[in-house]
Amino acid sequence: MSIIQTKDVKKWFGDFQALKGISMDVAEGEVLVVCGPSGSGKSTFIRCINRLEQHQEGQIIVDGIELTNDLKNIEAIRSEVGMVFQSFNLFPHLTVMQNITLAQIWVRKKNRAESEEKAMELLERVGIPEQAQKFPGQLSGGQQQRVAIARALAMEPKIMLFDEPTSALDPEMIKEVLDVMKELAKSGMTMIVVTHEMGFAKEVADRVMLFDEGMLVEENTPEEFFNNPKSDRTKLFLSQIL
Amino acid sequence: MVDLIKKNVKSLQESLFSSIGSSVLTIATTYLVINFFRGMLGFALTSDKDWLAVLNNMQLYMVQAYPEEDFIRVWLSVGLTFVLAGLSIGIWRSEERVKSSQVFNSFFKGGLGVLFFTIIAPTNASFMGNDGSVITEEVFSMDSRLGILIPVVVFCVIFFSIRFINVKFTVNSSDMVFFYLFIPVALLWFVKLPTIQLDQNNERIIPDPIMPIASSTKIPWTVIFVSFLVSYFIGMYLKNIKSIKSIMSLSWFLLPLLIFSWIFKKPQIDMSLVLGSDLPIFGVFLLWGFLVITFVNNSIFKKYYSTYLGVTFLLTLAGVFSGLPMLAKTCLLLITLFSVVVPAVSTSSQGKRSLLIVWAVALVTLTFLLRGGASDTGIVVPGSSIFGGFSLTWLLAIFGTYVSFPLGVLLALGRNSKLPIIRIVCTGIIELTRSVPYITWLFFASVTLAVFLPAGVEFNLIVRVLMVTAFFSGAYFAENIRGGLQSIPKGQYEAADAIGMSPFQKISLIIMPQALRAVIPTLVSSAITAFKDSSLVTIIGLFDFLTIGKTVIGNQSIPVNFVGHDRENLIFVAIVYWIFTFTLSRRSMKVEKKLGLGER
Repeated sequence: MSIIQTKDVKKWFGDFQALKGISMDVAEGEVLVVCGPSGSGKSTFIRCINRLEQHQEGQIIVDGIELTNDLKNIEAIRSEVGMVFQSFNLFPHLTVMQNITLAQIWVRKKNRAESEEKAMELLERVGIPEQAQKFPGQLSGGQQQRVAIARALAMEPKIMLFDEPTSALDPEMIKEVLDVMKELAKSGMTMIVVTHEMGFAKEVADRVMLFDEGMLVEENTPEEFFNNPKSDRTKLFLSQIL
Repeated sequence: MVDLIKKNVKSLQESLFSSIGSSVLTIATTYLVINFFRGMLGFALTSDKDWLAVLNNMQLYMVQAYPEEDFIRVWLSVGLTFVLAGLSIGIWRSEERVKSSQVFNSFFKGGLGVLFFTIIAPTNASFMGNDGSVITEEVFSMDSRLGILIPVVVFCVIFFSIRFINVKFTVNSSDMVFFYLFIPVALLWFVKLPTIQLDQNNERIIPDPIMPIASSTKIPWTVIFVSFLVSYFIGMYLKNIKSIKSIMSLSWFLLPLLIFSWIFKKPQIDMSLVLGSDLPIFGVFLLWGFLVITFVNNSIFKKYYSTYLGVTFLLTLAGVFSGLPMLAKTCLLLITLFSVVVPAVSTSSQGKRSLLIVWAVALVTLTFLLRGGASDTGIVVPGSSIFGGFSLTWLLAIFGTYVSFPLGVLLALGRNSKLPIIRIVCTGIIELTRSVPYITWLFFASVTLAVFLPAGVEFNLIVRVLMVTAFFSGAYFAENIRGGLQSIPKGQYEAADAIGMSPFQKISLIIMPQALRAVIPTLVSSAITAFKDSSLVTIIGLFDFLTIGKTVIGNQSIPVNFVGHDRENLIFVAIVYWIFTFTLSRRSMKVEKKLGLGER
């Protein structure tokens, strides 16, 4: 059964058409890697899934709820879908602990002790329990991104979206974030990952997609995608980045 | 110790006399500074200045013509403020320790300051006599110079050397507040100053006899100091109670309202109004709030909730422009806000119960305060309002900030809103208020505002001034806060959205705290401007602190002739304004430092 279903999703920014009819399904527990050149609409697409961008045509159904203008639906979907951003977007005025507990307390209405326990658990999972009382500004980029992952996981989402999570990091820090993401993938989380880390795609992805000019060019298993691509666009893309 | 002196001399040499140019600059600046202070001291000490014009009129300065038999009300206001302050200091007691050497050092530096002024004070000074001739006289004899110099030098030496004796105790920095306040209160009992005395013919006895100062204020101040201390200990005891901090913040918000509507005002309550109008209104709105809380989870009610909100909003709009009593109007506004907030907070039955309690307490407080504010005052001050002098300045400053700050936040948010109507209205209010001078608004308040209000609605002049002040400084606050809002990256909004926060939570927990922190310096300078601008109310006939000094005392001839002594009073007024604004800016710097902790 598919947890995310999109049918012919189209989106315009003014005159520019960013998405030209994307249809796809994601099954529960599947790890999907989306790649493509910049400006191909891949970020826009995953941002449509939790309504950070609004699609103008087509249908997006997440966990049986269709995304419409209804605020209730949007809030329901957002609390099911966690998101990790390229630029971390941690809240700089709150400590790491507060960053992670905030949504549990105010959105999930849990009490403080319970949510702090959950936060410590998650910080241990991402490997930085000792940083709980620091402010985001005092952490390295890799640590910040891991806090951001913990913050998203605190809502106990069914789906995690990653929007180029390693693009703003030093090469040495990329690994620590990818390790956390691999561990997450193995635990059975449904994930959509926009990334250029082909190693990650080869290792953990169930499916790989290539976006170009707002269209879904290729959708394939990783082995087929890297060894035996169907379209010429994919071959060109792979030849440039590998 | 010798090493220390050597080190200090060397650093002085490096910073002041490193080159010929800097040596010249140092010497020239020192000469200018010394001459400036010599001139000031000479001006202050000549015999044509009568500083008793200031000292003798403290009562006028503080409360203007407030009747003496009701002074207990003034003391009660001051006392309540200090009790709240004591509680707050106890509750927010910092764990910061101050080293004894730091304390001694500050005494030493204070002593050095006095020493400096004693040494440079001129022996002779001249002033313009009544006939235009220049009169030179001795203002500071060698005897009195030595009389001050010797104790001060001894004081400095003691506190300088005490640092090198091995006393290494530390004091809690909150405790120090009480020590510093203890000094002036204790001085009230011992210091004696020249005081004005009249003989049988109502002539001033010259020279003025030396008497203990502030004979009428030392007992109240001592009582206040003791209750300040006691409430500090109570505060430390209450520290661990849950939600005590929000209760304290709320009390701080309600205190000026209480002082304004009940304590200072001595309201004459008409019981028929209380029973005939206040109680029914109170009952209706209590029931209304109860119904909202009860049915908020009901599915049918939920479905029509936005309709209900719309109807309530329209009712409120209609109510505000109708002839309803003030209480009903305010309650209508409150129920609209309450209805917006309820679905966001009420879930469990326990939550519902506490929400109902909050609603009931809010209504009781509102009814109580509005009844006091709307009733006739029992205080009669001939020819002016019951507030005057420093109490008026203080009221305008505190209220101006209290009302205009939230208003500014709302206007800033409204101006950034996506809804065109809200945006246009907020932009309109901001641009309209900012583009007209404050003085024009004051005339508007005193002369024309009544025309714009519904028939039968009349406000006291001070309330009208507060209304325009709130909008005027609110507009400035709004623009400052909007600057802060623009400095928040889009990613913060997206991150808050992505973890499922409601728009209200997003603004109040994520965006506003960051935006306000970014603009603390400009907010403080707006608040300081508002504080100083309050002196402009003099042009519509209110007697603020400055007016008392400049106009009232400057023209005082009964019982003692102080005509022409306004310069002394202006200097005093300037010093008082400076003390308050300087304290405010120092505090804000501390807050900034504390809040800047997480940012890099």
